[in-house]
Amino acid sequence: MGFFGTILAPFRWLVSWIMFMFHEGFTFIGMNPASGWTWVLSIVGLVVIIRAALIPVFVKQIKAQRGMQALQPDLRKLQQKYKGKTDQLSRQAMTQEQMALYKKHGTNPFAACLPIIIQMPFFFALFNVLNGISRASAEGATIGALSVESVRQFDNATIFGAPLSSTFLGSFGAGGNLSVIILSLVMILAMTASQFITQKQIMARNMSEEALQSPFMRQQKIMLYILPLVFGIGGINFPIGVLVYWTTTNLWTMVQQFYVIRKMPTPGSPAAKALAERRAKKGLPPAPLLGERKAEPAVESAPPVRAQRVQPQRKKRKKR
Amino acid sequence: MRDISVRSLGFFWGLPRLMVIGMLIAYRKVVSPLYGPVCRFYPSCSAYALEAVTVHGAVRGIALGSRRLVRCNPWNDGGVDPVPAGSRSFPPGKTPWIVVLNHPVIPADDESRPAA
Repeated sequence: MGFFGTILAPFRWLVSWIMFMFHEGFTFIGMNPASGWTWVLSIVGLVVIIRAALIPVFVKQIKAQRGMQALQPDLRKLQQKYKGKTDQLSRQAMTQEQMALYKKHGTNPFAACLPIIIQMPFFFALFNVLNGISRASAEGATIGALSVESVRQFDNATIFGAPLSSTFLGSFGAGGNLSVIILSLVMILAMTASQFITQKQIMARNMSEEALQSPFMRQQKIMLYILPLVFGIGGINFPIGVLVYWTTTNLWTMVQQFYVIRKMPTPGSPAAKALAERRAKKGLPPAPLLGERKAEPAVESAPPVRAQRVQPQRKKRKKR
Repeated sequence: MRDISVRSLGFFWGLPRLMVIGMLIAYRKVVSPLYGPVCRFYPSCSAYALEAVTVHGAVRGIALGSRRLVRCNPWNDGGVDPVPAGSRSFPPGKTPWIVVLNHPVIPADDESRPAA
């Protein structure tokens, strides 16, 4: 076991243990333990566990993004200060001032490095488990929490005639498997489509005018075209099981985003307008949105305080 | 003769630092642009680690960088967090680029108000 293998070992154990537990559960409720679908559902279960654990991070991030609205004036001032200064050091100075500003307001639109870094070992561990399954099965070895019998079962598991541990690139020539090729292509398309739809949804419906014009957006647009490329390159190299994991994660992101856009849209975005209209149709008052400026309620609560009679004034005095 | 051995010893002593620097630069050039800016701090985690290793050497640099990564989570407010000053000094005009990048001169505000 090399350096990476040692680091990955605990993650590999955890990943395989979660899958094993789901597999046991599905077998218990009457599914065929040798079926590929039981193993696919176990991978989906793994995704659900990981993504559900990440929901608090997601909520925290949305709140922070909404908190941004309060410091828009300060940010604009900063942009004005650095207008036309495009050299690297000026950009760095601007970034530093921006970060100081976020800190001062106690909000930060960035997701932080840790949640991204934390997901990587899980992904590599799953890749490692699925990649090693054929060899471990041939050698009669265990992988993480998977017993010899489970490993053999997993290795023989197929969906639509495609083994879960086979790859697109390994399915050509003699002993090739057409269903692996078709299934990989379908999943690459599904991943790309869900990624595309998610991003488009965010940009078209859940962003205020101000956010759409930020330099941040340019990067987002580039990502929109780079990620399908990444999925394509990964998709032909990775085993079907990893593709199942990846596709499910993407679908989860898409549904999560749909939910957020529908139930708690960004104030000032088209989605927020749509929500207000839907509520108006039902005769409900507009819902308070996360991060909205609290100007209106303050005005409403003002009149009852004024119990004293207003002093009459001459009209002339007002027109000064 | 002695001079050569001292110099080659110095080279091997500095080798881990150079290797880590190379890995960090490669990460910043290849992997980082893939997902754009995500860090809650200034300098970003990778820039922090690169400066830390450059200034403090491989062992202390990696320790500082790892500590920063753990702090870079959604429950930390982030902000400006410079690398602590190290013992290495650089001759004038030979300051490593990453040190220059991480410590830009903040231009004065046009209006007379205290800096944010």
